[in-house]
Amino acid sequence: MSPLPGTGRAEALAQVIAERVVSLVVDAIDIDALLAKVDMDALLAKVDVGAIVDKVSVNDLIDKVDVDGVIDRVDVEKIIERVDVEKIIDRVDVEKIIDRVDVEKIIDRVDVEKLIDRVDVEKIIQRVDIDALVEQTELGTIIARSTSGVASEALDVVRAQAVGLDDFVARWFNRILRRDPSDWPKGPLGLTPEVGTHLVLAEAGEST
Amino acid sequence: MSDAAVVRKAPPVGRQGNYAGGVTRLVAFTIDVAATWGIFTVSLAGISFAFQLVTGHNLKAAGHQVETVSAFVAWSFIYFSYQWSLGGKTIGMAIAGIRVVAKDGTPITGRQAVLRTLTFPLSFLLFGLGFVGILVTKDRHALHDRAARTVVVYSWDARAARLRWLARQESTEPV
Repeated sequence: MSPLPGTGRAEALAQVIAERVVSLVVDAIDIDALLAKVDMDALLAKVDVGAIVDKVSVNDLIDKVDVDGVIDRVDVEKIIERVDVEKIIDRVDVEKIIDRVDVEKIIDRVDVEKLIDRVDVEKIIQRVDIDALVEQTELGTIIARSTSGVASEALDVVRAQAVGLDDFVARWFNRILRRDPSDWPKGPLGLTPEVGTHLVLAEAGEST
Repeated sequence: MSDAAVVRKAPPVGRQGNYAGGVTRLVAFTIDVAATWGIFTVSLAGISFAFQLVTGHNLKAAGHQVETVSAFVAWSFIYFSYQWSLGGKTIGMAIAGIRVVAKDGTPITGRQAVLRTLTFPLSFLLFGLGFVGILVTKDRHALHDRAARTVVVYSWDARAARLRWLARQESTEPV
């Protein structure tokens, strides 16, 4: 209620007049010409974007976005076609990525049983050259010796004794003939290292 | 037992591919002689038994000395040359842990195996003078080795033998 009688009506009239004046002024202004006079860069420089961003709740904003709708409108194939994958790969530091990978965690997640089920072992075995494998490794020796027990022990003793006697006889002959066999080849070049190397290996405790 | 003592008494290591000594070769030859004689005698007894079964007559080697000796020589030739050409080792050499290879360490050829077998008896001439080379030459060449351009090397896995030996020592060691 107004303090004086008739004041309320006058205020209402003033309000109507003010609205009309503002409307006339706004209609008369050329907004484009006004904007052209405004230095937008200077205006933006005065704006604290960080403060505005802080006030924005990004999660709320994202919740309002229809991501599926956006994705549906994106032509992924077209984007991929425009991407230079080779260039991206060249820029990737694989070593750094591998360092960050928790291999143990990945292995834990692998279903080994399932993986093995998918492997065609028969096909792999068919591709293995067993003869070459046995020839190039000590597999044959290991297989042959793994079945022996007392016999191999006796054989080792006999062979070791014989080798010991070989050395004994050779030592005596070298003494009688007054010769130094240290520079002599230990065996055919194709089977033993050169003399110098052999001596170093022997001193280091290396075996054949 | 101390570690030093264990190492001192352990079988020698690092021998694979080294020239084999006279004692090991003699052991191998002795086993081969026994094997050739043994197999030949058993085979002869088998043939004699089969002959007796078929004909009813008793076949005795005493009456066929030339044939028996010829068969033994032929058998010995096959025994040595076949085994040497096959893997460079006879039964005796396999047991003694040695094998025959070419001078450069490569496997011997069939020709070398045959030549070695044929010249092998020559080493026995003049009181075994052909074998002296095993004791005095740097590559331990016998006469038949020189003729066939072969050498005899250790082939047994001394490393595995040593590990087994050490393992046995470990298990017998008082706690």
